[in-house]
Amino acid sequence: MDIRRVAVLGAGRLGRGIAEAAASKGYDVVLFSQGAGGKDAVSRIEKSLDRKLAKWGITESEKRLVLGRISYTQDLKELSKVDLFIEATLDHMHIKKELLRAADQYCRPEVVFISASATMRVSDLAREINRSDMLVGLHFIPPVTQVAVAELVRGEKTSDLAVETAKTFAARLGKEAVEIEESRGLVNPRALVVMINEAAYIVDEGVCDEYAAERILKESWGMKQGPLEMADRLGLDLVLNWMEQLQDTFGHRYAPCPLLRRYVREGRLGVKTRLGFLAYSEDDALLTEDEGDKED
Amino acid sequence: MNIFVLNCGSSSLKYKLYAMENEQVLAEGRVERIGQENAIITHQSQGKEKVSKTMPILEHTVAIRECLNLLTDPQQGVIKNVSEIDAVGHRVVHGGESFSDSVLIDDRTKEILDSLAELAPLHNPANVMGIRAAEKIMPKTPQVAVFDTAFHSTMPSHAYLYAIPYTIYQRHKVRRYGFHGTSHKYVSQRAAELMGRDIADLKIISCHLGNGASIAAIAGGKSVDTSMGFTPLEGLMMGTRSGDIDPGAIFYIMRKEGLTLHEIDSMLNKHSGLFGIAGVSDMRDIEKGIEEDDKLCKLAFDIYEYRIRKYIGSYIAAMNGVDAIVFTAGIGENTPALRSQLVANLPYLGISINEENNRKRGEDIEISTPDSKVKVFVIPTDEELVIARDTADIVS
Repeated sequence: MDIRRVAVLGAGRLGRGIAEAAASKGYDVVLFSQGAGGKDAVSRIEKSLDRKLAKWGITESEKRLVLGRISYTQDLKELSKVDLFIEATLDHMHIKKELLRAADQYCRPEVVFISASATMRVSDLAREINRSDMLVGLHFIPPVTQVAVAELVRGEKTSDLAVETAKTFAARLGKEAVEIEESRGLVNPRALVVMINEAAYIVDEGVCDEYAAERILKESWGMKQGPLEMADRLGLDLVLNWMEQLQDTFGHRYAPCPLLRRYVREGRLGVKTRLGFLAYSEDDALLTEDEGDKED
Repeated sequence: MNIFVLNCGSSSLKYKLYAMENEQVLAEGRVERIGQENAIITHQSQGKEKVSKTMPILEHTVAIRECLNLLTDPQQGVIKNVSEIDAVGHRVVHGGESFSDSVLIDDRTKEILDSLAELAPLHNPANVMGIRAAEKIMPKTPQVAVFDTAFHSTMPSHAYLYAIPYTIYQRHKVRRYGFHGTSHKYVSQRAAELMGRDIADLKIISCHLGNGASIAAIAGGKSVDTSMGFTPLEGLMMGTRSGDIDPGAIFYIMRKEGLTLHEIDSMLNKHSGLFGIAGVSDMRDIEKGIEEDDKLCKLAFDIYEYRIRKYIGSYIAAMNGVDAIVFTAGIGENTPALRSQLVANLPYLGISINEENNRKRGEDIEISTPDSKVKVFVIPTDEELVIARDTADIVS
């Protein structure tokens, strides 16, 4: 099937990133969210495009074109008009299953479903829907518009057609879909949360402060962002959620550092609250240590 | 002999049907927004009203079929049947080192063209898509590829090689290719005709100044150097492209601004040139700004003119002389003030401008006075005619 119109369910960082990446490559995107924060999703995508414009990465007319391709709705009936369905909601099994069942009813039978879940098994999700052979896992890695790789997972019943559709879609977005075996937790989230957790322990034990840990790890491994900024941009609540999911399966290897739990409890969630391990400005830019102190 | 000329972009195509006996355009048109439900076809047959319609056109094959329907339409058309088309000539942007001239397309040609996609990722895949679509609809009609780079294949190695490790050229074919070759070829040949001289005896500098701009040194009818290089980013200042810049400045900017490869590429290609200096990319807006005493518009104009002048000077040195300078394409044809300023700044060439001729538009015209040592022409380019001529030559 020729794919032109893509539904993205979930307007968090991952969902917005997928929506922006797809619209940038010419797809019409319908962004669905039933959460309260969904309404400003398009304006947050506009902010993301403004940051690219400020860095000369796109032009003003390209920005308008991309925004013109994205619409937002809370009405699941709109799913009847889409050619591809992508779920990018928070990894809560019961919510995800409920949304997938609803989408299964509204989408045309030939529409392939993609789950972008970082920790849930495709086979478990597939049991909830009639089109279990049409569900494939494709985990995009934030920032979605910049990372050139995605993790592709085949469930027990996933058809070759669904896999090919996901691979073609990823390729159009300029990403290589690397196929991995199904497991609880994919390659990037599993390795990333361990690194974030260890960095949190280093800070919690007073070995060095957040900025020193971030600088050492970022520079020594040639990263664009260190683990603490990555955690802040993902959202510390999401990181904690991933760790808890992984801890259920793998045990103490994924036991969250107490500092991470404390920050989430205090509502110190990262970029979205301007403060996580590090501090951020109104336009989501990382503040230096001195600037962060002034903000405090 | 009827030749159908196709210029396919990723979401648009332009076409012309020529009767080659008298090089007459029988019909022409364009399709825009291919891939969308509201694609627009505009078509005009000679001596008939222009027609325009909006319809869903989701791929190039459908677009070409619609063009052919219009060409054979009992009311709008100019031919009765598609079989009256003797050959199709395709514009192909990049021929790499494989094609030094236009070529009859076969399976091997398409394989090579596919492999050249990464040298011109915005253009070549769309050009090849047009070739495959036309073949599908007209499987028995010969198809010819005419390359923008081919005219510059005569450049000597000392002109096309960059002074970087030679292994980079051997491994990746990184070298100057040059673009707008079809246009440079057409206007230089036309200038020789207007001078009544054999092009083999002439040294010509042709300035193709459109939104993209390049300049070529043509000695004896052959390109010996040109300002665009491995990509169309090198050389003159353009509408939104920087043209020449110290590569060291690029690394410095990337470090200072924290830019990615994509961002610096986009900055140099889409945010620079006239737009980068003055905030507008259209030369008409620049001229309007100058009238309103906008200093940045004046600065942009002066940089633009100066860089053309530098290239003219260097190509006079490269050829050890010049007989004629030709201006063509949107800015080259329609900006008398630019031509006047350029010539006024080159007094050592002994050129005088006939200002009355300089202000004329839309015709092949000499704008230098009869006593000028170097002749200056404005010649509207006609790339489609060159494609049609090459196609006719190859299939004859």
